[in-house]
Amino acid sequence: MDLAKYRALFLEEATEHLAEMSRACLALEKDPGSGEAIDLVFRMAHSIKGMAASLDYDSVTQLAHRLEDRMAVWRAQGRVDTPAGLLMLFRGLEGLERMVAAVRANGSSPPVDAALLAELAAADTPLGGAEKKA
Amino acid sequence: MKKVLIADDASFMRQMIRDIIEPEGWEVVGEAADGMDVVEKFKKLHPDVVMMDIVMPKRSGIDAVKAIKALDPGARIVMCSALGQETLVSEAMQAGARGFIVKPFKPDAVLSTLAKVAEKTS
Repeated sequence: MDLAKYRALFLEEATEHLAEMSRACLALEKDPGSGEAIDLVFRMAHSIKGMAASLDYDSVTQLAHRLEDRMAVWRAQGRVDTPAGLLMLFRGLEGLERMVAAVRANGSSPPVDAALLAELAAADTPLGGAEKKA
Repeated sequence: MKKVLIADDASFMRQMIRDIIEPEGWEVVGEAADGMDVVEKFKKLHPDVVMMDIVMPKRSGIDAVKAIKALDPGARIVMCSALGQETLVSEAMQAGARGFIVKPFKPDAVLSTLAKVAEKTS
């Protein structure tokens, strides 16, 4: 595999996805029931997860997967259910932005952000098989 | 040479599939970036096999499988999924997909699944 080619593709697409996710998060701040915005963040997290897994960027994969799971729960519920949930979503987005920036700067994935992963998993709605309902 | 249509909203994943299958003699006749586009390109390009992501914009992979199978009940479709999406894969298979591969892609698994699906007669 031509790692340099795929790393460049990853950085280009992940950056675009993060910009779209950021716009969607702002839309959710105004309307936590925006199904379009919830779906977009879900798909972008899914896409980043797939690309990162292909390049063995484990920390990016884990955070994107956790965020995808969380979005799947909210998609099933039809809304981001609490202000704390929205704050968590922004923290997840910021975490991904930091990690993609680290890949750009260092050419490799940064360490796993265990605290952020735990925060996303410990929210008030149960996870586990969430995307099965999506 | 068997013709393949690739559908994934990430150009990264489309390129990766192309790089795996083209050197092995498969012809990529088209790429689609969403679930509406793949149905339109299926009509125009008549591929032997469609490789389709399960999560796509505009129309989900499962809905796109149903639309393609309505056009051509014999269509051969391989779903591209990720770990944790077993139920979605099961739904896609029930809708008429004939195989699936899991991201991150392992070239051997991609090629063997593609070959099996292309050879199936029913």
